[in-house]
Amino acid sequence: MSQLDSEPPTIHSQRTLHLRYNIPISKTHQFWDSLKDGKFITTRCKDCGEVSFPPQADCPVCMSSNSEWVDLGTEAELVTFTYVQITPTSFVDSGPYHVAVGVLPNGLKVLAWVEGATTAELKPGVKLRLEARLSDGGSPYYAFVPVK
Amino acid sequence: MDSVKGTLGLSEKMRGVAIVGIGHSRFGRRTDVSLAELGFESIREAVEDAGIDRKQVENVTLGSVGSWYEEGGPAVVVNEYSGFKHVGSMRVEAACASGSAAVRNAYLSVASGESDIAMAVGLEKMSEVDTLTAIELMGRGGSYLWEFENFGMTFASYYAMYAVAHMNRFGTTEEDLARVAVKAHHYGAMNPLAQFQKEITIEKALSSQVVSWPLKVYDASPVSDGSAAVVLASEETARKLTDTPIWIRGIGASSDTANMSRRDGYVGLGASVDASRKAYSAAKIGPEMVDVANCHDCFTIAEIMAYEDLGFCKKGEGVKLLKDGQTMIGGKIPVNVDGGLKAKGHPIGATGVSMIVEISKQLRGEAGKRQVPTKNGIGLTHNVGGTGHYCYVTVLSRSR
Repeated sequence: MSQLDSEPPTIHSQRTLHLRYNIPISKTHQFWDSLKDGKFITTRCKDCGEVSFPPQADCPVCMSSNSEWVDLGTEAELVTFTYVQITPTSFVDSGPYHVAVGVLPNGLKVLAWVEGATTAELKPGVKLRLEARLSDGGSPYYAFVPVK
Repeated sequence: MDSVKGTLGLSEKMRGVAIVGIGHSRFGRRTDVSLAELGFESIREAVEDAGIDRKQVENVTLGSVGSWYEEGGPAVVVNEYSGFKHVGSMRVEAACASGSAAVRNAYLSVASGESDIAMAVGLEKMSEVDTLTAIELMGRGGSYLWEFENFGMTFASYYAMYAVAHMNRFGTTEEDLARVAVKAHHYGAMNPLAQFQKEITIEKALSSQVVSWPLKVYDASPVSDGSAAVVLASEETARKLTDTPIWIRGIGASSDTANMSRRDGYVGLGASVDASRKAYSAAKIGPEMVDVANCHDCFTIAEIMAYEDLGFCKKGEGVKLLKDGQTMIGGKIPVNVDGGLKAKGHPIGATGVSMIVEISKQLRGEAGKRQVPTKNGIGLTHNVGGTGHYCYVTVLSRSR
């Protein structure tokens, strides 16, 4: 039992959980593989032509599983953004960071960090470019950078 | 008004359903009670308010998100503690709209004829983990791999993106957002069950710490513990139990994409527009007939968007409605006169039920110094799950 200053008594549970998930990507691993080579691709339904981002093997429009990989593009325009200053517990060593939604010329939108920008420099309409990144742990990810 | 597909309300195929009992715990940091004890507070009050024997309750639905408390099966411990046995039961989850989803389930149980008396309980206990862990668990509520794993989105960050877009499109300012918080705290100060019962100033709100720019601490609802409960009864049973049944006239439920990147725009919530349209259609009313509303103000920008999405004003005119005092008591459509999520607190599974308890009090004329004149006898609750991932709009009325 523990009793902090004015807090009522509680039992501080001795049972801890360390949650770390294995996230299946077998149907979309091409996106992550390609990202390692600095290329951005996504899925297109061969039956109805719907292009999706995030990529998905099964078409959300016509439910066909007949998809192919196409170039996603990297040039984007900022739609909206925020500057995350209170970060979640697993990001305490990564923050603060800017996150934006950018729209590509094909109309698809992407959410990602914006690296190398200040809040004052960002506003809707600002030109952005997607770049491939490797995390400190060696995992591929991607970020926007402002096109100056 | 034409009926819209996917609506629940007055239908010849279903029985009328009324709220006959309401209960509400004190919201806040409730380290003085366990999950089941906290649920009991509102359950007992609702059962006593209905004047029923607890054994008459045939179905109990719990709205709770969980993972910040130790129980894996919250409905079973709540049922056992409150003495519910051999009832139809489940826990439902629709993020911050779980409470309204529970009420919808209880409504269906009664309307379909499965039960004569059913309960919906909203319950959350978020302060058993540290605040940054609670922020993480909420931040994972979108599309995990594409928004959280690499980009650490938080609940505030999602709404901040809507705030930036709204500011850019309509000239909404940080001061405008702060006015929502000032209003919330004004009414929270009159609500003995609220987490924060102190007035604040615009200056205080504007000088608070930035959480996710442009949103600050005073733009955000807090981490909260609390419970709320309602007893629902069929028309025949309700008329025997009470002279002041509050009828569920319409429920509209809707949803939107998991990924922010797949949204059509960022100045309103499509799920709110759709759910309200369905609820108005089911209740055969328009927004101008609503006397009092509780809207989902998890962040200040959310309340301004709600005015617009629910049709209380045109898109882009939410700030004007607020500044003109039209959403205060005495205005055209008083909103969140219990303090809202901002000041009353936001125990996320409890919130939807809490809203319905508040509107029931208003329609019964039991809201004391926060009482709104209710000439049409119609109130509305608007409960959003996530960032417009889910939305439930419920229309309540004094008349059948």
